[in-house]
Amino acid sequence: MIGVILLILVCAAIVAGIYLNVTARAAAVGRQIQEMQVRVYGYHYLTSDEGDGIVPIEELEQKIANLTSQLANLTSYQVMQERVKDLNLEPIDAEHIQYMEVPGYIDRQTTSLAPPPEPIVVNAYSIDPQFKESLFDWVVNQVNLAARYFNEVQP
Amino acid sequence: MRRYLADQVVSAGRIRRKQPASKTPEITHSANEKAGQSLTGWRFNLLGILFLFAGVMVIVQLVRLQFSPERNEFVSQGEQYSRTLHIFYPPRGDIYDRWGRLLAGSTLVYEVGVQVGDVVNADTVAFALSKVLVDHPEYDYPEYYDEVFSVIHKAQISGTAYVQLADFVTPQELTQLQEWARNYANLPNVDYGEAGQPSLDGLVYRPRLQRYYPEDELGANILGFVNREGTGMFGVEAEFNDLLAGAPQSVWMTLDPYQVSEIPQLKAGADLVLTIDREIQATAEEVLNNALDDSGADGGVILVMDPNTGEMLAIATTPRLNPNEYWNYASVFTDNTPYNRAISQDYEPGSVFKVLTMAAALDDGAVTLDTEFVDTGSIQIGGITIHNWDWGAWGPQNMEGCLAHSLNVCLTWVASELGAGPFYQYLQDFGFGRTTGIDLASEAPGRLKLPGDTDWYEAELGTNSFGQGIAVTPIQMVMAISSVANGKGEMMMPHVMRSLVRDGFQYTPTPQVMGQPISEDTAHTLTELLARSLEGESSDALVEGYRVAGKTGTAEIATPTGYSTSETNASFVGWGPVDNPRFLVYVWLEKPQSSPWGSVVATPVFREMVERLVVLMDIPPDGVLQGLSDY
Repeated sequence: MIGVILLILVCAAIVAGIYLNVTARAAAVGRQIQEMQVRVYGYHYLTSDEGDGIVPIEELEQKIANLTSQLANLTSYQVMQERVKDLNLEPIDAEHIQYMEVPGYIDRQTTSLAPPPEPIVVNAYSIDPQFKESLFDWVVNQVNLAARYFNEVQP
Repeated sequence: MRRYLADQVVSAGRIRRKQPASKTPEITHSANEKAGQSLTGWRFNLLGILFLFAGVMVIVQLVRLQFSPERNEFVSQGEQYSRTLHIFYPPRGDIYDRWGRLLAGSTLVYEVGVQVGDVVNADTVAFALSKVLVDHPEYDYPEYYDEVFSVIHKAQISGTAYVQLADFVTPQELTQLQEWARNYANLPNVDYGEAGQPSLDGLVYRPRLQRYYPEDELGANILGFVNREGTGMFGVEAEFNDLLAGAPQSVWMTLDPYQVSEIPQLKAGADLVLTIDREIQATAEEVLNNALDDSGADGGVILVMDPNTGEMLAIATTPRLNPNEYWNYASVFTDNTPYNRAISQDYEPGSVFKVLTMAAALDDGAVTLDTEFVDTGSIQIGGITIHNWDWGAWGPQNMEGCLAHSLNVCLTWVASELGAGPFYQYLQDFGFGRTTGIDLASEAPGRLKLPGDTDWYEAELGTNSFGQGIAVTPIQMVMAISSVANGKGEMMMPHVMRSLVRDGFQYTPTPQVMGQPISEDTAHTLTELLARSLEGESSDALVEGYRVAGKTGTAEIATPTGYSTSETNASFVGWGPVDNPRFLVYVWLEKPQSSPWGSVVATPVFREMVERLVVLMDIPPDGVLQGLSDY
């Protein structure tokens, strides 16, 4: 009898130990995530050292945006005009331009920052999934929908 | 017995053996033992009852709280401390010119404040901020030191956790603050007396993105600006504010590390590619500035449009504000000056409007090119007498002569031949009296008085025919005349947004045709007529190597005491090359001082603009194109 009780206690202690270990690690990782979130959206002390090598994506995006603007400033019209002056270059007049025919020449195209949207292909013969699902599928879908609904309702 | 004896002879100093169990019952004090047991049991029972009672009370209290009226308050208090609401703003979309050059982007700035509980020396914080931000436009006043010190002091008294001390701090200024903080941190730990040890402990910062315009004033009237609250004001920034700003997301962030959740991936604001060409815009602004200097005009507009698509290549107006310093708005735009005259200021256009009167009459068939009119120098209409600009009589004229000499009398007669009904129907078809729909904020509709309106008189038919008594905006004029300039009779909607980049795709809307007020034949005929009239007059608008069509305009300005003859609106509208129109240029100078005439002050501006435009747009001279086609 005592042996059984001890066995139960030992098992309970092992489970408790594993539970503590897992929750402690989860808490540590949770704190790390919170620290990174604070780094992106929180306040920083002037003397804090943030050179830990891990840089959040948002911080990188901010730096990229900043560098892009700096580059645009360095190549702005006014700056380029000053460089033109420094190089003793002058804008050309229409009279001094020589034109020649270049077969296959493609005129300058306006900028393309991204591909155009892909056309939506509608298959007229496709059957609506609702007509193919089984009763079991339908129940699973309803449960998933309900679960998603309650998750969204939670703050 | 012997065992008993043996046990008795254990030598001293040895451990006594345990007494063997005696079969003889031991003498016990059973009464005392029972008394003790009962005492112990009573205590245990009492303790147990107390614990049980406490446990029950705890459970009762828990149940009571669950159903008490204060439950919601307790729950809300708990939630208040267990999570915080954060609003995440996505990065604002960028704006590019048609070739992909950045016109509006983002730059890093910092909000600086103090965690009040960590502040060691408020005086040092105030001193450092006032010195580092001495050139900052918002904090360069002498009282800033006292304000910072006072704010921290009050926060310390009231127990406030955090107070903001500065915003829009540049990276350079923040670097200086960090150097100051490090220097203070390295000071020796000695007695500093009443002043206390200098320290910037407690001073914190937070980075964020702020709108930035790398071209400064270039295209400022088109772009608008973003104010402190992050809202777009004027121009593209206001018109597309929702698209550019993206959708902010509110997220409850828990303080419980077990429940930490991922920050939502924010959908960034859409990027815009404008139809504006940076080089053409810069050229238009430069030409306009020179024109204002030369003519002494109060203000001006130069519009450059592709008449085939309605794409605006340049919209140059005055005054212009550096959007990076938008707080100077009130000092730049005084006396109700609109942010963008080209779309927000209506005025009487004068003789450039004759292009449209003639277009309507030719299209309707009221007149033909060969129709003759004998100009006697005046004409009666609606009880008033109309005279020519020079008060002279020009004798027999055909329609080309009427436009070439800009004869008010002739155009009044043309409008009366057309009739008020058709004339105003054409003007409505040309889009007057309503906004063009250009994708810029704050567009004005102008004013077109129609027969039947209480303030319309028959004389309006005459004055309207040469662009007086009607209020239009420059963008309305450009849209209306695009139907003539493109040679197709189709009126193109002016627009500045060429493409929208969102969700990884670039969407390019199709140019919109606002209608076809005149036929293709009429457009061709009128263009040819205007080109010939410029050539016949040896106009200053002519550009060597390129055939252009156009018309000057000089309009008197209405004042409370009548029309002023000394103050005018000088303008010119022209397009070319005539055989394959690529540009439509509209020039308007308000109240020029050097000369009141559009032909003197506005026409050379058009020519200068076109001479530079053909280079920037890679448009070969007509002769070169002809030679290539022959080849």
